[in-house]
Amino acid sequence: MKRVLPLVAAAAGWLFLSAAQAAAPGITGGTGTPSFDLTAAPAYITQPDGQAVYSWGYGCNTQPAGFVPAAIAPPPTGCPTMQIPGPTLVVTEGDTVTVTLHNNLPTPAGNTSILFPGFILTSVCPAGQQGLLACEAPPGGMVSYTFKAASPGTRAYYSGTQGDLQVEMGLYGAIIVLPASVPTVCGTIGSASDGLPASHPGNNKAARAAWGESDFRLAASAFDHPDTCYDREYLFQFSAIDPNVHVQALAQVTAAGNCTAGAAGCSLSVPTEPYHPTYFLINGRSMPDDMDPNYAAQYPHQPYNGNPHMHPGELVLVRVIGQDRWQHPFHEHGNHVRVLARDGNLITADPTVASNLITYSGAAAGAAALAGPLLFTTTTTPGVAMDGIFYWTGKGLNWDAYGHNPASKDPLATLTCTPDANGYNTSAPAAVNYYEWCQDHDKPLQVHPFGDVAGGGPATLPDPNLFTNGAWYGGSPYLGPNATTRATGPTGTTPPSGTIANPPTSEAGFAFMWHSHDEREITTNNIFPGGMLMMMLVDSREFVIDESN
Amino acid sequence: MFSTRGWIAFGLTLFALPAMGQSFRVQCPTSTITHPGADNNHEPAYSAATYVPVTGTADYTSGKTGPVNGAIKCQQISGGDGYATMADGTQTYLFSFGPLSGLADIAQGRPGTEFPSVFNNPFPVSTTNFLVPGDPATTVDGVGTSPISGGFLQPLSPGQLARLAGAYNGAVGQDYDSADTFTIYDISESGNTVTVVLNSQAPFQLGDQVVIAQGNGTDLNGYVGTFTVTAVNVANGFFPPNFAFQYSDPATGLADVNGSSDATASYHPAIDGHVDPRQIMDVGVMNGNIPAPLMAIDEDDEFFLTLTNVGMIMRPDLFEQHTVHFHGYPNASSFYDGVPDASVAINIAASFTYYYLAPEAGTYFWHCHITPPEHLQMGMVGQIYVRPRQDRVTSPTHLYAALQTQEGDLRTKCDSTTDILCSNPLPAGGDNLTTGGFTGDIATSKKFAYNDGDGSTYYDVEYPVQMHSFDPNFHFVGMTFNPEGFADMKDKYFLLNGRSYPDTVNPDPLQTQSADGVYHFSQPLPTIINIPAGSRALLRLSNLNVTEEQTLASLGVPMQVIALNAKLLRDQAGNNLYYTTNSITLGGGESLDVILDTCTVARTDPSQQCPAANLMPKGTYYLYTPNLDHLSNDAENFGGQMTEVRVN
Repeated sequence: MKRVLPLVAAAAGWLFLSAAQAAAPGITGGTGTPSFDLTAAPAYITQPDGQAVYSWGYGCNTQPAGFVPAAIAPPPTGCPTMQIPGPTLVVTEGDTVTVTLHNNLPTPAGNTSILFPGFILTSVCPAGQQGLLACEAPPGGMVSYTFKAASPGTRAYYSGTQGDLQVEMGLYGAIIVLPASVPTVCGTIGSASDGLPASHPGNNKAARAAWGESDFRLAASAFDHPDTCYDREYLFQFSAIDPNVHVQALAQVTAAGNCTAGAAGCSLSVPTEPYHPTYFLINGRSMPDDMDPNYAAQYPHQPYNGNPHMHPGELVLVRVIGQDRWQHPFHEHGNHVRVLARDGNLITADPTVASNLITYSGAAAGAAALAGPLLFTTTTTPGVAMDGIFYWTGKGLNWDAYGHNPASKDPLATLTCTPDANGYNTSAPAAVNYYEWCQDHDKPLQVHPFGDVAGGGPATLPDPNLFTNGAWYGGSPYLGPNATTRATGPTGTTPPSGTIANPPTSEAGFAFMWHSHDEREITTNNIFPGGMLMMMLVDSREFVIDESN
Repeated sequence: MFSTRGWIAFGLTLFALPAMGQSFRVQCPTSTITHPGADNNHEPAYSAATYVPVTGTADYTSGKTGPVNGAIKCQQISGGDGYATMADGTQTYLFSFGPLSGLADIAQGRPGTEFPSVFNNPFPVSTTNFLVPGDPATTVDGVGTSPISGGFLQPLSPGQLARLAGAYNGAVGQDYDSADTFTIYDISESGNTVTVVLNSQAPFQLGDQVVIAQGNGTDLNGYVGTFTVTAVNVANGFFPPNFAFQYSDPATGLADVNGSSDATASYHPAIDGHVDPRQIMDVGVMNGNIPAPLMAIDEDDEFFLTLTNVGMIMRPDLFEQHTVHFHGYPNASSFYDGVPDASVAINIAASFTYYYLAPEAGTYFWHCHITPPEHLQMGMVGQIYVRPRQDRVTSPTHLYAALQTQEGDLRTKCDSTTDILCSNPLPAGGDNLTTGGFTGDIATSKKFAYNDGDGSTYYDVEYPVQMHSFDPNFHFVGMTFNPEGFADMKDKYFLLNGRSYPDTVNPDPLQTQSADGVYHFSQPLPTIINIPAGSRALLRLSNLNVTEEQTLASLGVPMQVIALNAKLLRDQAGNNLYYTTNSITLGGGESLDVILDTCTVARTDPSQQCPAANLMPKGTYYLYTPNLDHLSNDAENFGGQMTEVRVN
């Protein structure tokens, strides 16, 4: 059943933007004792079916001390007073963090607050402001929370006041605590020691430099642990919207008008059951909006995107939070994810047992063995945050993903592959096939030679007239523009150029769908495709991943 | 013989490739560069790694110093529609996959994955023996003796079962290719060497079989026969060398024949993937299964899965493609990942062959990735699992050493210190010889779920169990040309392997009369967990419902969870993280392996005989869902996601 026509029509201008990547942008509050001045306020967010949804979100009451990562330009209009998800608060382990919240919600919404699960508050709640779960800010008032960021990792924050309504309305966000003691083996961002040794999958610093790529990481490791080094990172917050709740809230807020807090009738009674969500969001946006840039002007209240890219062999830190009442089985196509931590708690074997200490390649001393599971579907659970590491190398495909052809006159078709101790081509960081899996080097896929790609392999592809191409199809079975244009010519076998999201001549990455496997959630108000869906692209080194826009 | 189109096309700007040949095809090479031997029709014992790291070696040829491991496996499936029978008797419309190979195996609850020797064996068509719609159900019922009017009775009679076991297992449609024929200009002999000059460029290669023949003429008498080409590009007095070839003929003294009116040289009719589309349409249309055909391969196998899109007869308004997504394959290729947005999808009336080297052992599953909320809900879900190398080691009592052998090949190595996604490092317990470990004293056939190195995933019997659920309203709307609402989905049938209780314990394949009036095997897999008392059953559990998390509980027999998402539960230091429970919860798109051990006292060595005193009492236990509203079949307040564990 094709129900995509309205979407395709609407998408003509923006569905297939291919230059926007993601990272994990956030705000900082200064060094040592960071402070954040937040507000809770209403605004409308937009959905790809054209709906504007009345929502509440956290935003900046005053501008933050800074924006990170440095390689991403700050939003031109600054941190908005309302955004969904709320601003990602980036602090460092050991910091004493102060978050001030101003309640600028409509008066009938009553009090609001923030819960910081996983942190122990040291702030004292002023008399009369203590709510059931949290210290609350009355309408027009404020509240401050102080806590020590005792351990690294990704955690959620969200409203602790009438959560069934306020979280549904959008009052949630993420807090990232960076490790205070990045293991030496992971290097230091921006220094000569940055990057893993070649003996460890990683070592992408040299390749990044060779191709002029910026570093978009917040830190060099996720935890104070040598097996949590990473090359790239993404934060995905999953949530849903039941528009009936939002319509009801708006109607009651409007009806109450400028009532006085505490006066009779100056409150909301919005039913939050039966719950019937029809919008399913990643970082506050539905597909395809989620693949537009961070801070895109058309989404003033949804600044964060979900558009992951990576190169073969890069260790990618995936930070995932469930921010609504349902579970969403998040399926990462392409490979497994090693779960590092839940709610910032690193999962390891018992470090007091000597045999559980293993010396990671390049590390100086033993560290507790990681013990989190390896998952291809990382279920997001309400309120739970997960850190995990993913990579893709193409190891074991049994054919040369780059379509190398020893008989070709094209020098890029005859590149060499020199395996390191793990079997990857890591000795030439400037090579297009950096991180190629050498055991399959030159091994053909196709039975018959096709274009400038060797034959002799196991598989025969059907006549291109017999299949339908996808918008993210790179144009050939092969990875990268050189291989693809050699195999099929400058247009690949893609649709007419200009309507594709993964052009054969410039990107030709391997595209993988990352999405909720409760498949009805990859819809937007009953239209497929939409919802909790994004395309992850593995790009060969020719393609410069630029997450700055 | 489609060998030339790539180069012809390469010069063209618009790549208007010539549409050649038929659109339905299958692929199942008998040998490949990975499996170059002539016989790839069995699993050789695993005694050494295929690739041994050699410093400085660069590719698949120079590093390959070990033996060839694994085999070639092939399977064909249809993508289309069909009907299934729900436990309350309702017939439900499906978008679905059906078997187009291994018909007999699928109908008996086994994988339809076959070796080339079986897959490439054409159906022996005769005037009394041919494939008909509904096969193998139709043939089981007895063609010509009792025309099907109301379907056949369950349970199947011994005669029907015998016919089921004898049903065809090869690729439906597989047939000899019509030979490409070329006319001969001149044919002559010198000694035993015959030189043939064609009227066109000669396509033959050294070693090809060539058939010399003619129509009604007789001037080629003596030449006619089948020969092996011994030379190509032969200089001759007529045409350029590439018009000529030579072969050797025992007969001598044949005269030169020039300008014969009807002499031809042809390829020998061959099994090359050509199919008879009538057979495919007869068997494949309206033949959907739920779950989709079972697949099973072994590590080191090359797997060729041909998806043949026969169209959805009940929905002629749709021109849907279908795909296969191998859910959970590590380091997947985008091209063969089955996501239509990221790759290609095969149109109706055509075939696409997916190619993978088997990934690491584990319980995976597969499904169509076209409009997933619709095609999954409508039934396009199936199971695939990969059996471990450890099943094939020559000395099953030395599993640790065997795992060390695997570490010798970088592809199969698992080193926690350099690979964060390594899931089965050497077990912390050390070698069996020093720890006692796995002694293998009871079973003759050693079967393991994973390459554990310590025998801890040993099992005696295995059962793939797929959880799924149907929203009958969505299926009805989908059958009646109406737009479906995704957010409104409310599942009412809760399935294990496509059936609800009590159908889950029917040992026979369920059949459903489809809209073509013919009975088809619609739900071939029972879910009866038979376990001999004292032994261990592996349940390969997966969930592909699209609306909610589901829990499955075991009454009485504890569940030992040994793996999640096709990865052994083991930390990086080699400690097994198995845990014992009586219930597991899976969301859509997750899989998990549990072992049901009917020995009441845990054995330190799972291969040890369970002492008689510790045998679990024989009897019937249950697997059921504690999502209590799922113990129903739509309006029937009975049944649902439940089945029996029979300890016997």
